[in-house]
Amino acid sequence: MSGIGVVVLVAALAVTAVLAWWMRARNGAVPTVGEEVAAVPEALVRLGVRPEDADLTVVQFSTAFCGPCRATKARLQQLQATRPGLAVVHVDAESHLDEVRELDVRRTPTLFYVGRDGALLGRSSGAPRPDELAALVDAHVGDRSGGRS
Amino acid sequence: MKNAPSGDVSSVDVRGPRFAAWVTSAVLALALVLGSGWLVAAQAVVFAVGALAGLRYAPYGVFFRVVVAPRLGPVREREPEAPPRFAQLVGLLFAVVGAAGFLLGAPAVGAVATGLALVAALLNAATGFCLGCELYLIARRALPART
Repeated sequence: MSGIGVVVLVAALAVTAVLAWWMRARNGAVPTVGEEVAAVPEALVRLGVRPEDADLTVVQFSTAFCGPCRATKARLQQLQATRPGLAVVHVDAESHLDEVRELDVRRTPTLFYVGRDGALLGRSSGAPRPDELAALVDAHVGDRSGGRS
Repeated sequence: MKNAPSGDVSSVDVRGPRFAAWVTSAVLALALVLGSGWLVAAQAVVFAVGALAGLRYAPYGVFFRVVVAPRLGPVREREPEAPPRFAQLVGLLFAVVGAAGFLLGAPAVGAVATGLALVAALLNAATGFCLGCELYLIARRALPART
């Protein structure tokens, strides 16, 4: 038996429990409709975001060592299939480190949500929760579904 | 991973890394209780095989594929190998420090490094969250941009 080992084991279990709780509470939380908005950062414009081209533009930052990024990309593609007003911009975080620092992206996937009027609706980190993502998308593109060409 | 041979479709059954994370957690927890640097060193070797040779050679992964998976039914989902493989590399770094600490007479250093590896492994096992993968962008951000 190792005294310090047992102490560290107990501490590690506690830290893991706190992290797991934090994950459940925060990870992938999508900004709700009507949340405070800000101007679109210039860094996003440099990355090719054109808010006026779509009702809602979602910008996804990904890296090679990111499991949930792939699933998130597929989820966005799926939403796009039925909602033509939704635009998606994919950014490889590693090749745009200046923007990553400027926007303070710390994790992948990190998503930014931009409205047609150029307002930043918010951001989310971790795989976005499917129901919350769909709610945000529908609030911005839902009423136009099928009506656009 | 960029120099992986072409034709190497690097993907794994998603249940494999989760199973490996449970085994890793058990080994590291036991190592802490026993204060055994050699057990941490053994886990470091396991991490090294997964990180350097690939997950298909990782001991716990092989055990999962040969013994456990056939009893669980067909593969339902696969995932790219790169994220869990990178996590093995992060685990290796902590396990090397942990083993060195215990074996070279700094048990506090050994225990803390082993404990950090345990947190990452247990969190991955319980929730699927890859703490090692999260460190990647943070590390890249801290380094100057590649030109």
